[in-house]
Amino acid sequence: MDAAVGDGDHTARPAGVMPRLAIWLVTPGLLLLALLMGGPVLLLALESLKPYVPGSVRPGEGITFAHYRELLQPAYLFYFWETFRIGLIVASLSILFGAPLAFAAVRSPSALVRKFLLALLVGLLVMSLIARLYAIEMAWGSNGPLAPLGALLGIAPRHPRYAEVQVGIGLLHFTLPVVALMLVGAFRALSPRLEEAAASLGATRSDAMISVVLPLAAPGIVSAFLVALAMCISNFVAPLVLGRGVVVFTTSLMYTRFADIGNYPSGAAIGITMLILAFLVVYGLSALARRLIPR
Amino acid sequence: MSLPVFLARAMHALCREAFAEINMSLTIPSPAVNRRALLGGLAAMAGSGPVFAQPRGEQLLVVMWGAQWIEVCRPIGEEWMRASGDRIQWELHAGGAMAVVGRLRPLWPRVPQNLIAAWDPVFAAMMEAGWMEPVSEAEMPALRDIPEPFFKKNAQGQKMTVPLSTAGAFWGYRTDLVTGPPIESIEQLLEPRFRGKLCVPVPVNLSGLLLVSLAMQRGGNERNIEPGWAFLKELAQRGQIGRVVANNSEMINAMSAGDLSVAFWNTGGWQAVRNRFPCRLLTRLTDNKGFLFNEGFAVMKGENPARVAAAKRFANHFATAEINTRYNRSLGSGPTNIHSQAAPEIADIFYTPAELERFAYIPDYAHMSSQVDAWTRRWETEITPLVRRG
Amino acid sequence: MIRLLDIAARLLVRFAVLAAVLFLLVPLLVACLLSFDDRSFLGAFPPREFSLRWYRAFASNPTYMDGLMVSLQLGVVAAAIATILGTMGALALMDPRLAGRDALEAVFLSPKFVPTVVIGFSLLVFTARLGIFDPFTRLVMGHVVITLPFTLRAVLASLIGVKRSQIEAAISLGASEARALWDVAVPAARSGIVAGAAMAFVLSFDEVAVSLFLSDAFTQTLPIALVAEMRANLNLTIAAVSTIFLAATLLLLVLLDRTIGIERLAGDVGARG
Repeated sequence: MDAAVGDGDHTARPAGVMPRLAIWLVTPGLLLLALLMGGPVLLLALESLKPYVPGSVRPGEGITFAHYRELLQPAYLFYFWETFRIGLIVASLSILFGAPLAFAAVRSPSALVRKFLLALLVGLLVMSLIARLYAIEMAWGSNGPLAPLGALLGIAPRHPRYAEVQVGIGLLHFTLPVVALMLVGAFRALSPRLEEAAASLGATRSDAMISVVLPLAAPGIVSAFLVALAMCISNFVAPLVLGRGVVVFTTSLMYTRFADIGNYPSGAAIGITMLILAFLVVYGLSALARRLIPR
Repeated sequence: MSLPVFLARAMHALCREAFAEINMSLTIPSPAVNRRALLGGLAAMAGSGPVFAQPRGEQLLVVMWGAQWIEVCRPIGEEWMRASGDRIQWELHAGGAMAVVGRLRPLWPRVPQNLIAAWDPVFAAMMEAGWMEPVSEAEMPALRDIPEPFFKKNAQGQKMTVPLSTAGAFWGYRTDLVTGPPIESIEQLLEPRFRGKLCVPVPVNLSGLLLVSLAMQRGGNERNIEPGWAFLKELAQRGQIGRVVANNSEMINAMSAGDLSVAFWNTGGWQAVRNRFPCRLLTRLTDNKGFLFNEGFAVMKGENPARVAAAKRFANHFATAEINTRYNRSLGSGPTNIHSQAAPEIADIFYTPAELERFAYIPDYAHMSSQVDAWTRRWETEITPLVRRG
Repeated sequence: MIRLLDIAARLLVRFAVLAAVLFLLVPLLVACLLSFDDRSFLGAFPPREFSLRWYRAFASNPTYMDGLMVSLQLGVVAAAIATILGTMGALALMDPRLAGRDALEAVFLSPKFVPTVVIGFSLLVFTARLGIFDPFTRLVMGHVVITLPFTLRAVLASLIGVKRSQIEAAISLGASEARALWDVAVPAARSGIVAGAAMAFVLSFDEVAVSLFLSDAFTQTLPIALVAEMRANLNLTIAAVSTIFLAATLLLLVLLDRTIGIERLAGDVGARG
């Protein structure tokens, strides 16, 4: 950090100090989060330990871990796995398709192409996800015009498992614009001179991409991947609308318990478990990325 | 009320007023609706202050099913609004009626709903929770024309529900899609020609009547449900189940799409499908029974006695002979008022008193609603994986 | 050989872009087409009879109009609060030497990883216990929580270019630290603030899970009104609504392009994390 000319008191501050202004700045936000997220989630955690009494207004007395133990059954482990599996696949696909899209939106020589792509991405953000999901149901469903394309993935559109394909497509539609826009920001920060320099040294375009652009954009790509993953695993409407009762995310399980049956402790247990798993996966992956990709 | 909340509310009210103007020019003029919007806005601005004029008549919040139910209820509601000065606001059940119970539990007793359309299992749950107002013939004269057995009573023998329909849940199939011998027993559903053709509800819907039906096929009933699970697993393992649905809309869409031909659902959903495609409902099976239940209104307890009284008047209106006929006609269900006429189309579905004993069954709905959680759990762990495999 | 591989790779990338664009566009076009479908159930595609019935249904149903008003107001209020808090937080976090900076950032970004169903339901129970029953207040609370990470991140990203030395220069010239931040950092972050606010509004507008639990019959957001109708009724009103939104957005984008320039806007929306 450059030291400005002037008083030593104001400028040379040792690292690790929290000045008073900063405290004032972060406190409202922290307070809000503590009150509106921390508190409720804690309450939910307490709720998850209470026994459930079918058909009754109040939960039972005492503490039980039954709701958590229940989640160890293979079927539920499978639902957790399914949620993360589809999330990881969709997140990867959104990077795979989002990166070229973002790159074209930033580097394409034609201004019209750039504007069109950006308009498409920003416009999609505003379009209701639910509307798009029903449109996907129509387009890719067993009666839809794109069903044969979906069948290419090896599952017949009439088969119950086809719902996986549809949910995946729905989620991809949800994450792709966001990921592409985040990558637009990442690519924009890279000067085109770097690629030109690589070209002048004799590298092909692909070479330049792989050895120059991607490593520099890597932190942005990792960040986008993690955001996409978080969006997928906490998404609620895609399995609801497209899941056909067969693709069950943990969010669907929670919703059924909270809204349809009224078994709050069980729903709370799933929610808390999902929270912890999500944190672990995301922070684990980002720590891994930080180790592999030197900043 | 704090300043930001007040500002937000004021903004809300002003925008609402402005929008009411635009709304009026876009819609068929309905004075009740726009008056509500304007007055609602003003009332919101004043909070609970008495300065601005309270509207004439009561404001009622009524929960109703969608599809044909709300289509027939809205005009009835509008006529009532013009006649009585009360204002009716409709809220839709998003899935099964039981869901509203789950939603209201954390909010009780501060629930704004005055009337809730429900059916027997949900009535049982709401009675157990103590949410319902007793009804009497003194307050609601139309109830005199409804037979005793249709009412649900509490422990003190008071009538608690306003029954408006007798409906049922049956197996059925689209006759234009099923080739070969007609279905006379649901054992036939194991045949290869029905592979991937079945559309079934989750246990939350219809309170698990699907399981009871399957159980009864194999000698069980709602209290001995194990044979039902065995049959269901057989169907799932053979890949007969093509689709699992969670609400009316999904069932109607699924059966209209053309790749499913057999379903188990209530008469309301079947009516919508029958309007477009030829269907046959299996109401007179020789080795099983059809299920009957009542649908109607539950009058919710409330702090405002005038509002509760208005709710009872509105519910009573639905129980009168003429409205009851009209209400049930498009729902494919039977009226409860003895002076009402049943629609001719449903003659094949409903039973003469002699047939009731042979073909119909009224299960213990209260017991079933207490089992829904366990059944859902079992469905998630044992059935969904089998259905996925197809 | 390398040349060929390179050309093949570049063609593949071009193809990927085209596939992605088509993938994104086709459901939009299908939804638009559906909004003119005359049938009252989700039948085979393409529709054969057309009408404006769903547009009429949207305009004549007060539930949708009310929902739209609620969503708009909610979006503005929640975005405003989230932007203010996010900007304040970002101003504090822009100094990398701050004690516990990374931990604080993680805390601020944490709502992203909590499933929205959990946030919605836990707030419902929490506010019921506290006696807060006004649905609009509850909705604002829920929506601020989920949009705060985005506003913070957007402002933080746009503050990357601001060197600490500039702030310190202002301080050395006699300004208090607060004043220095206000005069130096905030103007630089302007585009990030706008982008964050826009993002927050959009997120709040389309949010379903949180609103599902925190709405009530009189105060519903537009997506909830649509979902409730969709699950109970068979109607394609949602397709009509989306087409209207799409048309409005296209108009807005054209307008924005003429004034701010869409490339700048998009670049700021996609803030680098």
